[in-house]
Amino acid sequence: MTRPAVLEIRDLRTYFYSRAKEAFIRSVDGVSLAVAAGETLGVVGESGSGKSVTALSILSLVGGSPGVITGTIEFAGATGAGTARRNLLEDLGRYVRVSERDGRIVAVTKDEPGWRARVERALTGVRGKEIAMIFQNPKSSLNPFLTVGQQISEAIRLHTPVTDAGEAKQRAIDWLERVRMDSPRLRFDQYPDGLSGGMCQRAMIAMALASEPSLLIADEPTTGLDATIQSRVVALLAELKSEFGVTTLLISHDVRVVSRLADTVAVMYGGTVMEHGPARDVLAPGSEPKHPYTAALLASLPSAQTNGGRRTVDGRLPVIRGEVVDTMDVPRGCRFYARCDRVTEAIRARCLGQEPALATVAAGHRIRCHLYAGETCAETRPG
Amino acid sequence: MAARELALTALLLVGVSLVVFVILHLSPGDPFSVLLEGQGSGHAVSTSVREALGVPTTWYGRYLAWLGNMAHGNLGTSIRTGVPVASEIARAGPSTLYLTLGSLLVTLLLAVPVALYSTSRTAGALARALTLAVYLVSAVPVFWLGYVVIYLVIHRFGVFPLLSASAEPARHGWLYGLLPIVVLGVANGTVSEVTRHLRGEIGRVLTEDYIRTARAKGAPVWRHAFKEGFLLPMTEMIAAKIPFVIGGAIIVEQVFNWPGLGRMAWQAAQDRDFPVILGIALVAAAFVRLASLLRSVIYAGVNPRTATE
Repeated sequence: MTRPAVLEIRDLRTYFYSRAKEAFIRSVDGVSLAVAAGETLGVVGESGSGKSVTALSILSLVGGSPGVITGTIEFAGATGAGTARRNLLEDLGRYVRVSERDGRIVAVTKDEPGWRARVERALTGVRGKEIAMIFQNPKSSLNPFLTVGQQISEAIRLHTPVTDAGEAKQRAIDWLERVRMDSPRLRFDQYPDGLSGGMCQRAMIAMALASEPSLLIADEPTTGLDATIQSRVVALLAELKSEFGVTTLLISHDVRVVSRLADTVAVMYGGTVMEHGPARDVLAPGSEPKHPYTAALLASLPSAQTNGGRRTVDGRLPVIRGEVVDTMDVPRGCRFYARCDRVTEAIRARCLGQEPALATVAAGHRIRCHLYAGETCAETRPG
Repeated sequence: MAARELALTALLLVGVSLVVFVILHLSPGDPFSVLLEGQGSGHAVSTSVREALGVPTTWYGRYLAWLGNMAHGNLGTSIRTGVPVASEIARAGPSTLYLTLGSLLVTLLLAVPVALYSTSRTAGALARALTLAVYLVSAVPVFWLGYVVIYLVIHRFGVFPLLSASAEPARHGWLYGLLPIVVLGVANGTVSEVTRHLRGEIGRVLTEDYIRTARAKGAPVWRHAFKEGFLLPMTEMIAAKIPFVIGGAIIVEQVFNWPGLGRMAWQAAQDRDFPVILGIALVAAAFVRLASLLRSVIYAGVNPRTATE
C-alpha cells in the first residue's frame, strides 16, 4: 500500500433530487475510496448500492438533473508532470442551488449550462485520455452508425500522438488482436450490429485501452452478456491485467467477477462503503472478521466452495431477506440494520441510533459495523 | 433491389393514373361539354363528335387508350391549347420545382435552428418563445398568408409593382419571385412538425448509451449524434413533407399568379382538360416517389442495419 494512489475519492456524495417526493435520492452518500497505481479495485454490491453512480460521478457522466455532487475526487495522471493532482469535482457544487424553508427542501435548481461548461473545461484531456471507461451492454454502448475500426481509431487519434489515419488503423488492428478478437482486419470494417455482445465488449475494451489511459473504469463489464461470454470477458480482463497492468476500477454486482480480478475490494450498500480491504480477506468465505452484509452476499453464491456449506436445510441458497435500503429515507443508524441477522442485544441500541464508522480491523481492512467498532474505537464518529 | 423499386414506381404511377382517371370520369362534365359549350345541344351532339373523333365510348376503353399512349411516352395533347402535355409540363415544371424546393429550404431554415437551439444547453425562455412562435406560424393557412403578404407589400406599402412573374421583369422582379417561396415555406404547415420531430430525435439520441460512451471517450458529441440525431430525421421529414409542399404550391401559384404546374392544374380542372390533369398528377406522384427513393438511398448509406438486410 505504499504505491501512490492514482485516484482518491473522499466523501463523495451524489444526490438526485426527486421533485415528486421533494427529497434527495442519496445514491452515493459519503464514499471514500482510493485506487493505487497498478492495482484493481473491485466495487461490489447489489443494484441500487450506488456503485455505478460512483463510477459515473468520476467523469461527471451522471445524467438527469438536478443533482448534487460534492466531495473530492483527486486524480493523478501518469502523463505530464506526473505529480499534478487535480480535484475533478472542483467548483462543481456552485452550479446547484438548494432552497430550503423551515429545514425542508423546497426547490433544487441547477445551472445546467454552467455545469456542463465547467465539466467540459475540467475534464477535457481526462475523459478518454487519462481515464477510459467501459460500460455494460456493449452493443448499445458502441455507436451503431460507425464501424468498430472507426471508433477505435477515433480514440487513438484523439488521445495519442498518432494523427495519421493509416497508422491509427494499424494500431487499432493491433489492439483488436490484443483483446483476442478473431480476424481483426475483418472486424475493423464491421459495424457493431454485425458483432456478438462478447465481441462488442472486446471492441469496447480495445477502444478504452487504445488511448493508453492511466485508469480504466469498468462499469459492470460482464452484465448483459451470456454466461459463457461473461467468463471469457473476465478471462480477457485478467490476461490484460497481467499483461499491461492497467490501474482499474472494476464495478460489478457479481462477487465472482470481482474476486477473480480485484486486488482490493470495497463492498457497497445503500450508497456507502460497508467493508473495504484486500480481496483475499474480504471475499474469503467464512473468514473473520467480516461485515454481516458481505457474509450474507457470499452466502448467497451458488458455489459450494464459496458459501462454506451454508446452504439452508431444504437445499435452497440463502437469500438476504428484506428490501434494499431506501436511499431517499436513510435510517439514522446502520443502513443494513433492517436486514442484518447478526445484531446482538449488546449493540442493538447503537445499530438503531448511530451509524457505525469504518473501523480498521486489520492492516488495510476496514469494516463499518458496530460488531467490530469496539476493537478500535478511535474512528467512531459521535452520532 | 433497384429493379424492384423501379417496378414498384411504375405500378404506383399506373395506380395513381387509374384513380385520377376514375375521379375525372365520375366528376360532372368532360372535355366535350366544354368544347361544345353553346354549340348545339345535349347528348346526341356530344356522342356524334366522339364517334367522329374515334373516342372509345366506355371509360375503361378511354383509360386503356391513354395507357397505351403512355407506354409509348405520349402523354397526349392539351385540349385547351392543343400543345402536347409533355411540353406544357416541361415549360411550367421548372417554376414549380423552384417554388417547392425553395420553400422547403425556407421551412428548414426556420425549423432547424429553432430545433437545434431548443435542444442546446443554453435553452431557456427564449427557446420556448421561439417554439411557440413556430407553432403559431404553422397554424396560419397558406392562402390567407399569401393574400395578406400581397396586400401589405403591393397595395399597402407599394414595395413591388402589381405584376405577375410571367410579365416582363420589373425592377425587383427576383425579389418578388422570393415572396411566394417564403409564403409557402412559412405557411405550408410543416414547420412545427419538422421542429418537433428534429428536436425529439436529437433529445432521444442524446440519451443513448453510445452518446454516453462518446462523452466518456472525450469525443465531440455532435460527431456521434449527427447521423441518427440529424441526418436521418431530416431525410425522413423532407420525404414525408414533399406532398404537403406540392399541395400548398397549387394554392400559392394561384394566389401569386405563378406560372407553374399548380396553376396549370387548376386551369386544367376548370376546363376539364383531362390529359393535362393526368399528366400533372403523374409528375407529382413521380416527384413524391423520387423523394422517398432518395430517403431509402440515404438510409441505406447511413444505417448499417438496413444496408445489410
